[in-house]
Amino acid sequence: MSAIETSAANDLAAPVDHSVAAGENELLQLVSFVVGDEEFAVPILSVQEINRMMQITRVPQSPPFVEGVINLRGKIIPVINLRERFGMEKLDDSEDMRIIVVEVNDRVIGFTVDRVNEVLRISADIVDPAPQMVLSGGVDGDYVQGVGKLDDRLLILLSLERLFSDEEMAEVDAATVQAA
Amino acid sequence: MSDMDPSLIQDFLTEAGELIEQLDADLVKLETAEGDELTELCNSCFRGLHTIKGAASFLGLTAVTTFAHAAEDALNKMRKGEVPVTTEVMDAMLRSADVVRDQIDALSGGGEAAEGPADLIDTLHRIANAQADDDDAGEAAAGPAADHDAPGVPLELPAQKADLLEFMVQDLRDYADQLDEVFGQVANDATREEAAAQLAEIGDNMVKTAEFFELDHLSRVVSLFVTTAPSLNDCPGDLLPELLIRLQAAQRLIHDQAAALENQRALTWSLDTFVERITRLSGHTQIEEQFVGLHDNVVDNVLALDEIVKDTYEPVEAPPAEATADQTGAGADAPSAEPTPAADKKKEDAPANKPAVEQTIRVEVGRLESLLNLVGQLVLNKNRVLGLTRTLKDASIPAELNEEFTAAAGELDHLMGELQVGVMRTRMQPLAKLFDRYPRVIRDIARQTDKKIDLLIEGKDTEVDKSVLENLADPLVHILRNSADHGVEPPADRLAKSKPETGVIKLTAEHQGSHVRVAIADDGKGLDPKVIGGKAVERGLVSPEQLDKMNDSDIFRFIFEAGFSTAKQVSDLSGRGVGMDVVRTNIQKLNGTINIDSAVDRGTTIEILIPLTVAIMPAMVVGVGRHLYSVPLQSIIEIVRPETEQVHTVKGHQVMRLRDSVLPLVNMQERLNEERNDHGGRFAVVVAVGGQSAGLLVDKLVGQQEIVIKPLDDGYTQGGPFSGATIQDDGEVSLILDVTQLVRQPPASAGPPETRAA
Repeated sequence: MSAIETSAANDLAAPVDHSVAAGENELLQLVSFVVGDEEFAVPILSVQEINRMMQITRVPQSPPFVEGVINLRGKIIPVINLRERFGMEKLDDSEDMRIIVVEVNDRVIGFTVDRVNEVLRISADIVDPAPQMVLSGGVDGDYVQGVGKLDDRLLILLSLERLFSDEEMAEVDAATVQAA
Repeated sequence: MSDMDPSLIQDFLTEAGELIEQLDADLVKLETAEGDELTELCNSCFRGLHTIKGAASFLGLTAVTTFAHAAEDALNKMRKGEVPVTTEVMDAMLRSADVVRDQIDALSGGGEAAEGPADLIDTLHRIANAQADDDDAGEAAAGPAADHDAPGVPLELPAQKADLLEFMVQDLRDYADQLDEVFGQVANDATREEAAAQLAEIGDNMVKTAEFFELDHLSRVVSLFVTTAPSLNDCPGDLLPELLIRLQAAQRLIHDQAAALENQRALTWSLDTFVERITRLSGHTQIEEQFVGLHDNVVDNVLALDEIVKDTYEPVEAPPAEATADQTGAGADAPSAEPTPAADKKKEDAPANKPAVEQTIRVEVGRLESLLNLVGQLVLNKNRVLGLTRTLKDASIPAELNEEFTAAAGELDHLMGELQVGVMRTRMQPLAKLFDRYPRVIRDIARQTDKKIDLLIEGKDTEVDKSVLENLADPLVHILRNSADHGVEPPADRLAKSKPETGVIKLTAEHQGSHVRVAIADDGKGLDPKVIGGKAVERGLVSPEQLDKMNDSDIFRFIFEAGFSTAKQVSDLSGRGVGMDVVRTNIQKLNGTINIDSAVDRGTTIEILIPLTVAIMPAMVVGVGRHLYSVPLQSIIEIVRPETEQVHTVKGHQVMRLRDSVLPLVNMQERLNEERNDHGGRFAVVVAVGGQSAGLLVDKLVGQQEIVIKPLDDGYTQGGPFSGATIQDDGEVSLILDVTQLVRQPPASAGPPETRAA
């Protein structure tokens, strides 16, 4: 498995079209990572950097899926626990865990994943639209932009915009308040 | 305007915005000014309007130009004292300033400037044409005594035009300067077409100026630019230098005429050969053999130019002729249009007309912002280095090395401090930026409400951080409006209370340590604690029993509650109960505090205390559970160690007896969901915000530190009692406690005023 280090992805980060909307023969450049039992992918251009786990400062009274905040070279950004976000069981920190830092809707946000797999190019042809269903492990279909059929496995293409949209956050916030 | 360089337009908008601010302030002062001050203010206003008009016309913003011109004419009348400064005239002038401001705003917003309102233009014309008949009478005598050493013939101008001379000369010079750039672009193939268009435009503007003064010779020269410009585009390469040389000669003539104009003199010259040569060149016809080929040699070129210029100064009138010929002859040896000595003398006589060279540069706010960010990070890094020196002391390294390192770190600390202050200062702006707008606000309210109000301003040179300035703008307007509208009584009421008819609102600003104190005091009717208390009970903000125990200054605080208004009538000025809520919110954003002091019929004083800067502040770092938090030092009154017997529980809340009072305690372990431990609450950090205080129970005190405030505005981490985050010297993030929230919202149930603030 190839862990991608910070600079590689950073060089490519640019505010280009993040969408994975498929055109014929279009090549998608993705970063794939694992959360729970599924393999996910996001467009590499939306990824600013990938970091090893670092000290995360807990923020009391924030929603449970907010792991806390980190110091990213003088900038303070929130870190979302994707397992918690997808309603999966939380894991203890491990050597493989990474924080993927993305820029979505003009905000810089980090999220934790179990491990990062690889950077890969796939043809847009092999991506099917998201099936209207809740994927195993509780991933809401709304966040899924498509499913890439690789030779040996399936890749879930996440829509970061929807995953971290304001409305989505508000909904989750409301849910947390009710639960509390 | 679409074909103009956007940066030019941006510059214009910025400058015009500032000029309008100045104009507004000057106009208000003008209303009460007398004598020399009046003249100076009129001139200042006139200059401002004229600059806007000139720039707008250059940019082709017709609506602005036309309106500014009308206003300028009216102002010119006032300047000469031909129209008395009456309230009506001032209303028209102030409204004009508003119209221009709106036009500028519209352009800034990417829209088009609207035409000025017709009725206002009519009024302006009426002012401008008042007593127009007298105009021609006292003309020649009005101008400064003609200087007979100056070249040219005395220029006879009607007084109205003579007054404009100063501005026209400036215009001419500006245009001539613009020509320099245009000539450069003409020489370049790539930019020639654009340059030709600009040349025609500048020429056109100058023709208007020349015609205004009936300077036929000048207007003949400048119209050359208009006629020549189109032919530049397809001018054969070898003729271009010839043409350019002559255009430059023409520019030289313009400069000379501008200098002569300052002495109210018109230059005359025989131009026939010159004009003929240019016309032939622009018709792409070769002229005399000897001129062609001269352009190979620069020296010859200059000589040729001199020759032409000399030729053109054929004096027409006899007496000044010799002097003129001498001077121009001398000037011709040095072709760089030097002003004539006479013009120099004139300049010395009137130094006030020349604005002092500004020792400032404009810097984009974004750049300062990023500089400040870097300094913030440096401060953190410095903290880290200082932290390391402490660690090193414990390590077993040679003492010398240790000392040297400590010294270096100390130096770093010192320099960092200065750098920090330096960068902060670049962001500091005088409060005058805000205060200068307020005389207008007060004047308008006084007019609308038929009151007499004097606004006294003190300490407007006090400087504060840019963000402080911005956040202070709205609150101050609200408070001032309240003072003028609700505070100061109508003249009749005031007389009945045997107060002076004219109310006084005093706005003062001063530095107090690392804070700035802004106070607004009026001598109006004051706040009645009974009325406010009654209203608060009525609105359920407080129970009658609680009210009984409150002191006046706490009761006054209710006016900051959203929707709280005691005004019986809502006017369009104030009374809707929105304003004071904004005041509180903005001041809190700045970590500031407000206090109200008031006595019935004696007036109200509202005092605002704000830290000079909002980005870096001293804080006490405390430990709660396993984490560290920062408490702004500014809100800390004292730190005490509560003994067990001092702590009591009242209705489920922990309180402690502190000297004579009872202090509510906030269990921070509980509040921050930290793991409970046995060391919990060993210290009570006593904090106070706006008259309310509480003790925050923390586990340990780490020490005092400069912290750099980073906002927590990502949408995920809000909600907790935090005003931001900061980075500790080990690089970890620690949260800054929002004392206001902690004091006002003790967890679970508490008194009604606290719980509703959620």
